[in-house]
Order: sequence, then structure tokens, then C-alpha cells
Amino acid sequence: MSQAPLLEVRNLRIEFPTRRGTLVAVDDVSFSIAPGEVLGVVGESGAGKSLTGAAIFGLLEPPGRIGAGEVKLAGLRIDNLPYEEMRKIRGREIGAIFQDPLTSLNPLYTVGQQLVETITTHLNVSSAQARKRAIDLLASTGIPAPDRRIDHYPHQFSGGMRQRVVIALALAAEPKLLIADEPTTALDVSIQAQIISLLKRLCREHGTAVMLVTHDMGVIAETADRVAVMYAGRVVEIGPVADVIHRPQHPYTIGLMGSIPSFGHEAERLAQIDGAMPRLTAIPSGCAFHPRCTRAFARCSRERPDLLPAGTSQAACWLHDATGGKAAA
Amino acid sequence: MSALPKPIEEERAHGETATIVRAEGLAKYFDVSPPWLNRVLERKPRAILHAVDGVSFEIRRGETLSLVGESGCGKSTVARLLVGLYTPTAGKVQFFGHDLAEMNTEGGRHLRQKLQMIFQDPYASLNPRWRVEDIIAEPLKAHGLMKDKDQIVARVDELLHQVRLAPADKEKYPHQFSGGQRQRLSIARALATKPEFLVCDEPTSALDVSVQAQVLNLMKDLQREMGLTYLFISHNLAVVHHISDRVGVMYLGKIVELAPRTTLFSTPRHPYTRMLLDAIPDLDMSGRARTPVAGEVPNPLNPPAGCTFHPRCPHVNARCKSEVPLLKLYRHAGGATEAACHAVEEGRLAA
Repeated sequence: MSQAPLLEVRNLRIEFPTRRGTLVAVDDVSFSIAPGEVLGVVGESGAGKSLTGAAIFGLLEPPGRIGAGEVKLAGLRIDNLPYEEMRKIRGREIGAIFQDPLTSLNPLYTVGQQLVETITTHLNVSSAQARKRAIDLLASTGIPAPDRRIDHYPHQFSGGMRQRVVIALALAAEPKLLIADEPTTALDVSIQAQIISLLKRLCREHGTAVMLVTHDMGVIAETADRVAVMYAGRVVEIGPVADVIHRPQHPYTIGLMGSIPSFGHEAERLAQIDGAMPRLTAIPSGCAFHPRCTRAFARCSRERPDLLPAGTSQAACWLHDATGGKAAA
Repeated sequence: MSALPKPIEEERAHGETATIVRAEGLAKYFDVSPPWLNRVLERKPRAILHAVDGVSFEIRRGETLSLVGESGCGKSTVARLLVGLYTPTAGKVQFFGHDLAEMNTEGGRHLRQKLQMIFQDPYASLNPRWRVEDIIAEPLKAHGLMKDKDQIVARVDELLHQVRLAPADKEKYPHQFSGGQRQRLSIARALATKPEFLVCDEPTSALDVSVQAQVLNLMKDLQREMGLTYLFISHNLAVVHHISDRVGVMYLGKIVELAPRTTLFSTPRHPYTRMLLDAIPDLDMSGRARTPVAGEVPNPLNPPAGCTFHPRCPHVNARCKSEVPLLKLYRHAGGATEAACHAVEEGRLAA
């Protein structure tokens, strides 16, 4: 895509100062999202995918902080904005959807009050216009009888319906970027399918770019244009979604794909990656994956690989070093 | 105990595979009525939740039967009924030909050892203040299987080895283990009494995919090594596809379809099963034409009349709205399936 990227994350580092030293949860992460593009970010618990999303949205919980790098939205740096400035961007320029729809809604206000508040905060409209817009939004997310439902409280909605309200809320001010953190994880499969197709439809209609954070490869496969795979705080592979899924290049991605049970093939055993994701206090030297990697060699434990071209994707793995690592060996 | 299970070898020699678990018309209702005062003052009615409503199935030795369904379909309640954590409102469970109710008697102890459970959350199911050796040895002590300390230690080591953990791990506490390792500890504990039948309630749902693969592989290995029989409860159809021999699909407290795994996944009969299979995002991105599924699971306190799936079903007719369909066996090109659906019975569904 030759368009200027909407979101640019460069060398992002997120750290947590503790008494026993600084823990680095996300390290040297770079990626960009084009207008209207859906970037999937996958990884297992503790890979740093949600933290990356929170950092972009400016909601990193202290003591967590951005240690280095920058986040640019439409060419403007947003990672160092004062709180009040960032508040204006949140909701207006960047929308967010979180995993649990119940905790993202205020239980003491009707969904209408919450929608109207969001709309009048960000757009210059009267409250009557805002209410009409809120009803339209609810209708567009497929909530039946929106003119009646708008005056209901969050607890009166089911899980799937609540997530629809959250989506309506996130898209209320027509943001250019939507950060969706595990938007379907708390939902049943039949509801999950409804929510995914709703997200896809609305984002296509509005031309909204999406950063979709999830651990579910199936959701990524159906939704994303490109996908970034994270492991131990770093992006280990990034590329077009079909390539990453069908021709993974990084040994971790290969293992991850093999470990997912699928209907497509019969397997007596699933591929398994032995060991577990390292703790933040003990990230291995060199490539963080090398102790679990079956193809690791001497260089992997010494030098940390950056993203290297691998097929149509990029993978942070010395196996893809064109020089073959001979210079170092 | 005279009627304890025959050794597997003897059974194989006779060419029979025994049914070890049989559930008949199993039902569990929960009284979720408002308190008496509210009922009197506010004239609120009694509310009875039919969590499981007439479920029958058999599990044969050495096989894995999975129950799958969405939240609130009653699959976990079935699991709890089978291990005796709930007493059934109606129906019965037979275990090696004995009624489950016998299990709480002194003579039923032997029966109880043959039956263990693995829970979903490995963080909540292990006592955080106990060392691993105490956790795993607990069933041995509770059942009075072993008294000698050295014997118990040896058995704990053996169990840890079986779940691919190191004997040195028995000194540790649960918090020193990752989620996948904790789930292995739960499995080791469950295996302590040498059970034949394990009820696994969403054993991998709380785990990451690569860890889930480790646990699923371990479960399959153990099944082969020890001839275990599993009842596997899950909402994840891909996992169920991987692990099962037969699959039952539940909807609002009833089994709506029950078939061998390959039959169910290649030729689903019940519209709900078809919908579920359609809804799963899959890696293959085959560009399947998805049937958009409307609606949600209805409130189980007030289920629809007739077939409970009828408000969401594309093949609904008048009979579906009034008459409850029963689970019946249908033979078709893809195999034999038990389904509870009027449309299947009348041949209204295109194969």
C-alpha cells in the first residue's frame, strides 16, 4: 500500500520499573497500519499484545510507561501528549473495544446516556441530534427496537448485545482507528460470528482502520489483512494474513500454527512447542525463543535478530538472514 | 465388590466393549425463585431453571465422548451430575452397572475411585497452601489406598512422571507453576486412584493454544497408555474434533444431536449443529458461504415451547413450535446420527 500510514509505531518499548530493576514487557516493536486496514496482533498471554494496544490508546496503567520509541497518528506524535490533549484524541480519533463488555459500560447510566455523552463530547451537535444519532448507531449494530433499547441499562442486555453497544460507543465519533482488544473472547461462537461480521461491515462502511488484538487465529484469519505475531514482547513475524497462516516463516509461528486444532486436517497429535513463554524477569539472551526452538544454533543465543525479509513476510529469525550468519560464526 | 469391572484383556478376548457409563433421562432443575417474602409481597412467581432436561447417553470403555454447546446449555451440569457433585432431579446414572447413588455408601468407595474429574480453572482447583506432593497424595490418603509414607512418595513421583513433570516438582507450591503445568498437576491428582473414567470439564479453555496442544497430547497419550475413558466437556469445536470419538451437541439442557465424530463434522444433521459448524472461524479461510445466524440462546427460565431452537431455526414450521422433538436414530449416507429435530424426521432438510 503506497498510502501514508494512519498509525505508525516505531521502536516502542514499554517498561515497568520495580524495586528489583526495570522489567521490559514490550521491546522494540514497530509496525504501521494503513487507512482502512485491519492489522491482527496475535500472541499468547504475556506476549505484550494488549499492552501495545493500551500504549497506543494512552491508557497504560502506571507504573507501566513508554520507555522509548514513538507512536504517530496521521503523522502526529501522540505518545507524549499531555493528558487533556490525549483525552480529545481518545474516542474521537481512536476508538477502543475491550474484552469484557460489562466492564466497559457504566452500570449506572443507560446506554443512551453513555452514547449521547460520547457524541456530544466529540461532535458539535445538539443533544436531540445526538440522541437520534445514538439510535441510528444502535440500529446499525443490529440491536432490535433501538428506540426503546436506548433507555435500557447495560444489565438489561445480553453479552452479545452489550458488545454491540460497546461497538456503537467506540464508533460513535467515527474514529479513524479502532483498537479492538479480544472483542469476541468472552462470547459464544454463534455470537462471536455475529460480532466479527458486524465489525467487518461497520469498519468497511466507515473506512476505519482496526488493530485487532486476539489470541484466536481463526478470528484473525477471517478478519485481518495483515497479522503481526508477538512473542515475549517482540514482533517475531509480520506479513499478509494468508502467508503467515499458510506459510509461516518464524519457528514460533510454525509451532503456533501446528498447535491449533483445525477441521481441515486429521492429526493424531498436535504439534507442540515444549516449554513455556519466558517470564519477564528472565527473558533469554539473543532470540527470546531460542531455548524452545528446535532449529536454534549458536548465534541465536548471542545476537537478537531483527525483522528480516522472509518470503512475503518479515520474520525476526536468523534462519532468514541472507548472509546465513556466516559472518558472525 | 463383586461386580467391579472385568479386566480389559478379558473383555477384549470376549470381543465385547462394555458400556461403563449410562445416563438415562438425566435432569437437574435449580430453584432460582426470589425469596419467599418477595414472592408474597411482590407476587413474583416461583422460578425453576431446567439446567439439564432429559439427557441420555452411553459411554463405552476407552472412548472419548464430548459434549459441546454454548454457555448455559447444561454441559457442565451434566459433568457434575456424573461425578455426583449434584444429585439428579430425575433420571439416573449407572456406572459399571451400579447406580450412582450407591457411591455415597461405604461399599461405593471402590466405585468412586474409578471416577475422577478435571476442572476448567487450574488456578482455582489446586489448594495454594499445599505442596504438590500433598495435593497429589490427597486422593490416596482419602481413599485409604496407601498408608506407608515411602509408598506414597513413590506413587507421587510416578504420577508426576506420567504427566511429564519432574519428581523434584513435588516440593513446590502451585503458584510456582504455569497454567499448563498446573493443569498437569490436576491430571496427576485425578490419576492417583487409578481411575478408569475421567470427567474433564473444559480442561484446556483457560490455556493458551500452544499449552493447550501440550495438554491435549498428554491426555491422548494417557488414554492410550492406561485405557482411560473420557467425558470431555468443551465449547471449542476444533478441540472437540481433535479429541473425540463421539460428540453430543447440547442446546438448552438437551442433547440435540449425538453422532460419531467424523459423521457429525462431515454430515451434521440438526440445524443447530450446522449453525455452530458454520459459525466457527477457521484457519482454512475456505471462504465458506456463512449462513448468518440470527438471535441468541433464549432465557432458560422461560424456554420456547416445542423445539427450544425453533425461534432461531431457518426450517421452522408449526409442528416445531408445539411439539418437543425426541432424539431418534437416523441412518444416512454419512453414517448414523441421533438427532432431535422434526425437520430431519420429515426429511425437510437438504442433506
